[in-house]
Amino acid sequence: MTSIIGFCLIAGMLFAYTLLDGYDLGAAAMAPLVAKARSERSAIVESIAPFWSGNEVWLVAAGGALFAIFPKAYAVSFSGFYLPFIIVLWLLMFRGIAIELRAHLPGDMWMDFWDVAFSASSALLILLFGVAFGNLVRGLPLDADGYFTGTFSSLLNPYSLAVGVLAIVALGQHGLAYVACSVEGTLGERALRYSGRIWWLVLGLYVAVSAATIAGRYAGPATPLLAVAASALAFVALVLVAVFARRRKPGAAFRASVVFLSGLLVAAAATMYPYLIRPAPGGSGGLTIFEGAPAPSTLAYTLAIAIVGLALVIGYSHFVRQRMSVAVTVLDERT
Amino acid sequence: MDVVLADRLQFAFTLMFHYLFPIGTIGLAPFIAWYEFRALRTGEQRYKSAARFWTKIFALNFAMGVVTGIPMEFQFGTNWAVFSAKTGAVIGQPLMMEGVYAFFFESVFLGILLYGRGRVSPALYLFSAVAVWLGAWLSGYFIVVVDAWMQHPVGYTLGPGGRIVLQSLGAVLLSPFALWQYAHVLCGAIVAGGFIVAGVGAYYLLAKRDLEFGREFVRAGVIVALASSALVIFPTGDRNGNDVTVFQPIKLAAMEGLFKAEHGAALAIIGMPDVAGRTLIDPVYVPDLLSFLAYGNPRAEVEGLSAYPVELWPPVELTYYAYHVMVGLGTIFIAVAAIGALLLWRRRLFETPLALWAILLTMPFPYIASEAGWLAAEVGRQPWIVYGLMKTQTAASPNVVTGEAIFTLIGFVGMYFLLGVLFLLLTLREIAIGPAAQAAPVAAPPLAPAATR
Repeated sequence: MTSIIGFCLIAGMLFAYTLLDGYDLGAAAMAPLVAKARSERSAIVESIAPFWSGNEVWLVAAGGALFAIFPKAYAVSFSGFYLPFIIVLWLLMFRGIAIELRAHLPGDMWMDFWDVAFSASSALLILLFGVAFGNLVRGLPLDADGYFTGTFSSLLNPYSLAVGVLAIVALGQHGLAYVACSVEGTLGERALRYSGRIWWLVLGLYVAVSAATIAGRYAGPATPLLAVAASALAFVALVLVAVFARRRKPGAAFRASVVFLSGLLVAAAATMYPYLIRPAPGGSGGLTIFEGAPAPSTLAYTLAIAIVGLALVIGYSHFVRQRMSVAVTVLDERT
Repeated sequence: MDVVLADRLQFAFTLMFHYLFPIGTIGLAPFIAWYEFRALRTGEQRYKSAARFWTKIFALNFAMGVVTGIPMEFQFGTNWAVFSAKTGAVIGQPLMMEGVYAFFFESVFLGILLYGRGRVSPALYLFSAVAVWLGAWLSGYFIVVVDAWMQHPVGYTLGPGGRIVLQSLGAVLLSPFALWQYAHVLCGAIVAGGFIVAGVGAYYLLAKRDLEFGREFVRAGVIVALASSALVIFPTGDRNGNDVTVFQPIKLAAMEGLFKAEHGAALAIIGMPDVAGRTLIDPVYVPDLLSFLAYGNPRAEVEGLSAYPVELWPPVELTYYAYHVMVGLGTIFIAVAAIGALLLWRRRLFETPLALWAILLTMPFPYIASEAGWLAAEVGRQPWIVYGLMKTQTAASPNVVTGEAIFTLIGFVGMYFLLGVLFLLLTLREIAIGPAAQAAPVAAPPLAPAATR
């Protein structure tokens, strides 16, 4: 039981990270597409600048929770994927620096450089997160201790790459909906239009990846019902994203996108369960939540920290977001 | 190269580079809160400008601190898998608490501090400045708790298979070792903050520009530097040293370069350790002082390194030099801050270029002292990764090879070189723009009605 609670806690924190940092990563990845001028790119950066580091803390907190609750999985996965993981860290750094330093110097070359760094590192991050996620769902070649035995290139298999591309378009759509909510004027309207266009890609890849998951029998036998229900919910929400985008309701489209992504994540978690690290189909090894299950005393502490702390966090970040959610306008359109 | 050495070099490099920025945020945050408070109380533009100026410098430190700090949490897993798997149940808790209780708090309210001027009420704005201050200090506490547990493990039991099980989170969080170490580290960062503010003020006075701000910064900075550089030695440094004496006598002997046990041990002010010859070369001693400092009794016996097997010795030279650099610089800080405060009291400081130059040039040294202190603490902890419980040599990731660790180390060096150059460039630029220019209307986005969400 302690294992299941621990699994749900970490999954929940990672979901929060995906939904929150997802919109700023997605908006960054889509910026070159949707923003036609430097002033419009500035508006996109401005709309996420006050929030991105708070969003990224969810990743840090989830990392800490994994470290505390499933230390073995934390150790095995991060050292097992040493190189890809360090590359993710470098990209995270580069993106943070791009957001923070961009506005520090006036100068077109300076801004153009950081704009490219910002969008490229964000897009690559989503792709890498997606590929990692795809591999986790698909299963990995592992040795008896649970360490990854494959190569870097073996991680770039078609299924995982498809999940990576799905992540780019799905979070791209999510980010565009966020831009539509928080930037006024033609840029906001254009973002909503583009999210309607990218929708077809999301739908196509979503159906393809779901079909491949079922065909590959990646779904574990433990919770097929939950996986199917969550996928169905995600599908309905995805349809609603398109409906709201067409009716020019950015707020509703963003909320529908949140539900869509949540459904997707719950379905993926249900497919993973009870593994933290799944062995490749037919392979052996792997790390389930029951091995190295946390001692009840450890888990009690972690849960107390998490519940009290996260309640506070959600409370004050909601408060701050309400106070700070003033729509950004593009500089050219300001009088 | 041995893979463990490559892992250690990488962790040492990334952590020491990262720590430069928390020094800035911990040290500057109280100044920002103070100037915001004065601005709200008096409504004077100069306090608003001062707060805005230091907030910009703080923001650069914060941004660098965030981007170099996020890798730290994950490098435990990437490079120290065996250590992480064994100790996660204990040190994962304070690491998670740092994220959930401190880092979140600091990030969210920094969003207001940087982008919320005019969007939120003045009271909420001041609260945000205080919240950022609290967040920065609290963040440091949780991280020191992790290190203090590695220095002096408490609150755990050994479970099946040698797994470490958390027994009492309270004992870990309130470990006496952690409390004094934190107080010491915190004071060290405030010394740096005081000298940064005073040093920038001294620069303005010497450069004959932004004079009103120059005087204000020198005054505030010198007072803070004097108080904190006294506190860093007594009681915090003394108490922290006492914990080392009790719990890590080998480290104490290495820090002091003491090879043979002595009654009435002398304190070496300078001297170079010769490990092969088991002696100090060209030492300058103060008789009996080490015995007195360690045990409060000038005749007490202090054990030397030779009382312990060589394989339990830390690298003696590095521990010794790092410790002596820290202590030597700490003494100089007190002297510079005391002279500054004396001249301030006699109302002559602003007209004494020599003293202003001394304050200006002292600015980088609190950074060196802080880094040296950490070096003494962490190198002196060797060969243990968790003191008395787990050896560093057994703690690294088994499947990461030397080539990978060196490749990523080189990558981090390149990345951090770029970050360091950018940080210096942008910070010097903010100092060149100066606080007086902050009063000019900024090109802030005009407020538009809130969008419908």
